[in-house]
Amino acid sequence: MGCASSLPGGDLVGFFFLFIFFDRSSGRLTGLNNAENSGAPDAKNLRVKLVLLGDSGVGKSCIVLRFVRGQFDPTSKVTVGASFLSQTIALQDSTTVKFEIWDTAGQERYAALAPLYYRGAGVAVIVYDITSPESFTKAQYWVKELQKHGSPDIVMALVGNKADLQEKREVPVQDGKDYAEKNGMFFIETSAKTADNINQLFEVSLLKLPSDFHAHRLHDWRTEIAINQIDFNVLELHKL
Amino acid sequence: MSSDSSSSSSSGDESVEQNPDSNPKLVDERFDLLTLTEPVELEPNHHENGNEFANGSLNRGSNDGGAEDDQLRVENHEIFGDEGPASPSSSGYAGERGSSSASSVSGIGEVSEIDGNEIHEVRNDGSLEGISDSRASSWVPVKRQDDASISWRKRKKHFFILSHSGKPIYSRGDRVKSVKAGKHQVVFLVKGPIYLVCISCTEEPFESLKGQLELIYGQMILILTKSINRCFEKNPKFDMTPLLGGTDVVFSSLIHSFSWNPATFLHAYTCLPLAYATRQAAGAILQDVADSGVLFAILMCKHKVISLVGAQKASLHPDDMLLLSNFVMSSESFRTSESFSPICLPRYNPMAFLYAYVHFFDVDTYLMLLTTSSDAFYHLKDCRIRIETVLLKSNVLSEVQRSTIDGGMRVEDLPVDPLPRFGSSPHLGQQRPPTESPEGPREPCIGIGGPAGLWHFIYRSIYLDQYVSSEFSPPVSSPQQQKRLYRAYQRLYASMHDKGIGPHKTQFRRDENYVLLCWVTQDFELYAAFDPLADKALAIKTCNRVCQWVKDVENEIFLQGASPFSW
Repeated sequence: MGCASSLPGGDLVGFFFLFIFFDRSSGRLTGLNNAENSGAPDAKNLRVKLVLLGDSGVGKSCIVLRFVRGQFDPTSKVTVGASFLSQTIALQDSTTVKFEIWDTAGQERYAALAPLYYRGAGVAVIVYDITSPESFTKAQYWVKELQKHGSPDIVMALVGNKADLQEKREVPVQDGKDYAEKNGMFFIETSAKTADNINQLFEVSLLKLPSDFHAHRLHDWRTEIAINQIDFNVLELHKL
Repeated sequence: MSSDSSSSSSSGDESVEQNPDSNPKLVDERFDLLTLTEPVELEPNHHENGNEFANGSLNRGSNDGGAEDDQLRVENHEIFGDEGPASPSSSGYAGERGSSSASSVSGIGEVSEIDGNEIHEVRNDGSLEGISDSRASSWVPVKRQDDASISWRKRKKHFFILSHSGKPIYSRGDRVKSVKAGKHQVVFLVKGPIYLVCISCTEEPFESLKGQLELIYGQMILILTKSINRCFEKNPKFDMTPLLGGTDVVFSSLIHSFSWNPATFLHAYTCLPLAYATRQAAGAILQDVADSGVLFAILMCKHKVISLVGAQKASLHPDDMLLLSNFVMSSESFRTSESFSPICLPRYNPMAFLYAYVHFFDVDTYLMLLTTSSDAFYHLKDCRIRIETVLLKSNVLSEVQRSTIDGGMRVEDLPVDPLPRFGSSPHLGQQRPPTESPEGPREPCIGIGGPAGLWHFIYRSIYLDQYVSSEFSPPVSSPQQQKRLYRAYQRLYASMHDKGIGPHKTQFRRDENYVLLCWVTQDFELYAAFDPLADKALAIKTCNRVCQWVKDVENEIFLQGASPFSW
């Protein structure tokens, strides 16, 4: 429950309009075009490329595995290079969104290769560990890197993971919020262990995508409201 | 002096200023030290064990060496550097080895003597009856293995990767490659700014230990490329340790393989036994993919090759395959999902990264597609989907499963009469039902194992750069016995390839453990182990039969007609 404060729960009215179903088998069923960019030609089947960046050991792989497979492995191993996973979710208007997720290795030796993975990404999720100030510093490095070299309209999320370890917290929620606000990112604290806010992270990422991504869906009033609500909420969030 | 040597780093730091880096013998450098140790051998009758292990402080019964076979330590502190510089006027005797060796090269002999002391000290350090004078602390790393110093000392072989800005202690003139000190051997390998050291009391030949250091270096290059040297050029004090973060398991798995995987000294790879048609089917689809711009397509099951294909003119060295499969198998994350990762093949191009698409079809079976193009992921993913479809359709994956259950060649199945062979009907020509028992009466079976006391063999095809090794069967059944046999093969291999003595054609050697027979021709090398009481003439006859057997089933055990390997 510790992370409820991070994304003020009450503000998330918008989410009531987005019913997201996780389709665990669809990773295989969906044919793969070579499209590398977020957005997709097919209005009913959207595709979002999402990359996770951050120091090693902050839980990037755990977040992805929680989202994609609903699993949490406390002994999960060091990622090498980058792992590719996908997860398709169905929205209520029968649109499907396929997240193509690059889970990058946090090791220093791979830092130079990060552009390989974040190039063309619609969403960059930058993760730190709330118990590790070093990882928060590292997160800021990634934010700067993306501001310099990433695509200008990339959606950036700042994620404080391991929110279940409140008693070991060393990075105050406010620090994360402040930094995210200054850099036009949205902020959320998650726990891959308890699954807290994991789905929300991906949902908000989706909604924050540029309007052309959602344009075709605006005929659906529910979605429209959802998007508007979210925008409103984000404003609220920034005011905090 | 003794107090200096025990309080290592402070005196070392002072001397950094006093002594320019150019002094090769200086000990004050900051080393990035990776210590890699190999499994403890617990054979009770191991004569190689010095007395060192008899010390009361070693709790051999606890047997953690068996469980956590290998360990790799990454440390960052002075090693050679502790005592020498603090006393520039020191006598130069072994006791103050840092400074003594600092004075000149003169004493290669001296150095070795010094080292002798050192190494014994390493072993005795902190033990109940060790030499407890100041010198005992000179190898700081030992002391710093605080959490596991006992287990560290239990190891019979240690590996270090060092780097520093000057020259290594022993490398002035770069002539010292190895130092013998009683039971211990210290082997050095200098690769630009990186020094690799092995300290061993396993009685493995110098060439074998050097080969192991080469592989460790290769593993590092696979992860970082040789351009790591530039970091040292820019900054001599460059700390390499963070760059290798998370790879401990890769190195410890490699070191472990030195004692079970003959590929590490044969420089050849081995294939999973499969029906010719099955392997052909796998090869065909890999070839298809290779034609679409993939540099290498490799399908493996654990450390055994199912099939592999290279683009035109691209050749894959067996050592690179060993290092690559070790890297992939030891890194757990490859099993979680498909991955795209930069890797370098040291024998192919040590300076450049290739990109490896890795996908596990099941726990043991995996596909590696290598490319030079960093944005080929989606293409490679498509290739994998095509390959997977074909493999499933042609039952390759289920055949692979079956082969892992059936196993490889067994000495008990050595055909009595190798000639009339019909096709490839039985698994590896074993003709199981008829040959089950009739072996006995024909040939005197000494002990257990195959005919004529044959216990095990390895056959290496020179043209194919592949080897086949028989399955272990009693009496070579425990991991310790298997490791000892591999060590014996290793010595045999080294002696057969010793350039100084000249090439041998055959070798027959009998000791209390085995009869070992080695036969080298232009086409193959055969290594066979027999019961120590085996009859020589019969053993030779049996080796001929093994060769015939291998030829009979070569289509199943070797990858034929792989793209030309031209290294």
